[in-house]
Amino acid sequence: MRMLFRLAVADFWDRVRRPAYAVILFAAVGLGYLATPAKEAGWVVMQVGDYRGAYNSAYVGMVVALAGAVWLSLGGFYVVRNAISRDESTGVGRLLAATPLSNLAYLTSKFLSSVLVLGSMLGVLAVTAVVMQLARGEATTVDPVDLLSPFVLIALPIMAFTAAAALLFEAIPFLRAGLGNVLWFFIWAFIAIGGQSPNAPLGGIGVHQVVHSLGDSMKAQGIDPSEAGEFSLGLTLVSKPLKTFEWTGFDPSSAYLLTRCVLILIAVALALVPAFWFPRFDPARGRELQDPSAQSADNRTEDKSTFPAMPVVAIQEEPGAARSDTFGNVPRAQVKLGNSAVRLLVGEVRVLLQGIPLWWWAGVLTLTAVSQMVTPATGVTRILLPLAWIWPVLIWSRLGTQRHEHGVEAILGAYPAAHRRVLAEWGAGLLLTAVAGIGPALRMLTGSDGPGLLHWFLGALFIPSFALALGMLSRTHRLFQAAYLPLWYGTVNGITPLDFMGALRGPDGLPAGMSPALLIGATVVMLATAFATTAARRVAG
Amino acid sequence: MLELVDITKVYRGGKRAVDSMTMRLDNGMLGLLGPNGAGKSSLMRIASTVTRPTSGRVLFHGTDVVAKPDVLRRALGYLPQDFGVYPHLTSREFLSYLAAAKGLSARSARTRIDELLQLVNLTEAVKRPLGKYSGGMMRRVGIAQALLADPQVIIVDEPTAGLDPEERVRFRNLLSDLAADRVVMLSTHIVSDVESVASDIAVVAQGRLLRRGSPEDLLAAVEGWVWEVLADPGDVPALQQRHLVSRMVRTSSGVRVRLLTHVPPYATAQQVTPDLEDAYLAIVGQVVGRTQEFAGLQHPEGR
Repeated sequence: MRMLFRLAVADFWDRVRRPAYAVILFAAVGLGYLATPAKEAGWVVMQVGDYRGAYNSAYVGMVVALAGAVWLSLGGFYVVRNAISRDESTGVGRLLAATPLSNLAYLTSKFLSSVLVLGSMLGVLAVTAVVMQLARGEATTVDPVDLLSPFVLIALPIMAFTAAAALLFEAIPFLRAGLGNVLWFFIWAFIAIGGQSPNAPLGGIGVHQVVHSLGDSMKAQGIDPSEAGEFSLGLTLVSKPLKTFEWTGFDPSSAYLLTRCVLILIAVALALVPAFWFPRFDPARGRELQDPSAQSADNRTEDKSTFPAMPVVAIQEEPGAARSDTFGNVPRAQVKLGNSAVRLLVGEVRVLLQGIPLWWWAGVLTLTAVSQMVTPATGVTRILLPLAWIWPVLIWSRLGTQRHEHGVEAILGAYPAAHRRVLAEWGAGLLLTAVAGIGPALRMLTGSDGPGLLHWFLGALFIPSFALALGMLSRTHRLFQAAYLPLWYGTVNGITPLDFMGALRGPDGLPAGMSPALLIGATVVMLATAFATTAARRVAG
Repeated sequence: MLELVDITKVYRGGKRAVDSMTMRLDNGMLGLLGPNGAGKSSLMRIASTVTRPTSGRVLFHGTDVVAKPDVLRRALGYLPQDFGVYPHLTSREFLSYLAAAKGLSARSARTRIDELLQLVNLTEAVKRPLGKYSGGMMRRVGIAQALLADPQVIIVDEPTAGLDPEERVRFRNLLSDLAADRVVMLSTHIVSDVESVASDIAVVAQGRLLRRGSPEDLLAAVEGWVWEVLADPGDVPALQQRHLVSRMVRTSSGVRVRLLTHVPPYATAQQVTPDLEDAYLAIVGQVVGRTQEFAGLQHPEGR
């Protein structure tokens, strides 16, 4: 047990000493601030109709813990997603595989480490909650039990479940990469929304009993909850300050506590079940599971006969004789420079699309064909355009990351004109976006939908810029995947301020989403970020 | 042609990887020799414009390439110690991409890639994705990319790692051939990699240039310092404490110990002809704690 703890703590320290962790903690502080807005702020995260609780320890603890449970289960998943892959890429996994450490113990330590990482974020949130309670000044007495119990009872089990899901996804070959990231977004949306229902299994995210308790307090203070309005958890804009009531916390029933424990037990089971098939960093088993084409020639005996040995000229040298030239075929062809912009773009397209299977292209063809058949045309922009522009999400997320991911940066660092390559990479992303969305674009063209076509074009400029900027900044696929999916999901669900592609139309039939000026501005900022990041990285060496 | 002037590199945390190093490189091969962590790779990255020095200048034909790196990058072939490739591209596709990044014309790129694939003996594997290449084959792709633009300056960092003995010999000879009319800078910690091909050797340790000269110069510096003794196995630890031991061979009559010292360690000790490894150890040993014994060696110099 002590060994497991040591492993988990070592892994935890390795993670928290990376610069990304500081960014994550900063985001946690921001979330704590967002959850406890000032009276005059135009938003709330938790409300019961026109009311919210006064900012005492119980209410602040609850609202910050619930915000953490909902949002950290999304962002936190992507943060702890690399527990196993980090050991694989650093080579530590192969060292551990040669020790008596069992699969079960290894996975347990990884699970504990992920829970520690997510738990540390909750810790930062809890400290932020204390600061925010005092800053808001509606109640000056800090009750640690009232403040911390929501973190322990509600947020921590959700974090354990998130850590377990991340580990499970990593251990399932086809969920290890982008597909798992996308799938988690939809699982998270289902849990975050469905988990608030009174009928959710195991009490969902555990908010229902809290809602009851809030209602009881309101009744006791002469406020009718049914007249006040519905309970809402999530960022909501409000036009006038909410009225307040006193809420001193809730006493969890034993059944409630039991459901929280069961949720943790389920998380433990999910985290440990991969012990049955975990390949233990065996390259042969691991690569078979991942991608047969990635099998190294090192492990394949037929290579030895396929490749002839480099011819060596055997020369007997006399002592004192001049060295004979054993390598007479040094290329002497004159090299000329020329315009290579198109070939560079072709190269970047190849790099971006490398390894894309045929079925992916079949999906693009199908969406293009269906777009020409669906009536009315508004169905094309409302349904098929969002579908066409979620299909390449895993390929877009490669933008800005591949040179680092594959170690090609080491070579390209000494190549000229880095900005030209960034531009070509962006061009490759733009081409991909245009090809994926060509079906709806053609339909808008034939339907003389000029404003729609303009938004399509601006969306096609925005997406690769967004992907390139986030990829360059983070050097991982996950940031873009985690940021693009909520934006896309918001568009699909009719949240017009988030619509970047012209999918949502107003009563006049014109695009009702982001304005062209905003889209152009965002594109310019993203591209500038990508170029600035490239320049900064080159200067930093 | 390529000058490194008073180069210092201090990393975050205060680690001084390169300390006031100055050297000038003209056509020919310079072998950069030093123990792991000596600052060789940092110096190579600075010379190849990948890393900016904390202070100092890198001049190529008089132009400061710290300020204008593309001047050197267009004339440079760089093979880093560790590098990756795009696993789903073939070697031809990968080299075409890099040729476009170098700015080669379409015709030049085609001809050059054909020649280089033949040179590094990858023509038969040209249709196979790079992800299926062995470590040695990958290294050969790296060598090919370094030669793409017919560079005037070639900088190769531990280039023979992963190559089999035959490939190592061929590659060293290739570099030697290229060095006839180019600047070639080769870094390694394997003495045999440089002794057979480099006419100019720089020994570095702890970020400093300890000595630079021809192999003959380095050997002359330790002439009369190398001894062999047949010792009892029990005496070996004491010998190791007292002297810099370069080799030990266990025989039926005892342990034959080759050591470096300016006075005979035993009456029975035999003076032997030094080799480059002895010279290298003596020069590096001057830094790592045997200053007194090797105080007689000449001071470092840059050219």
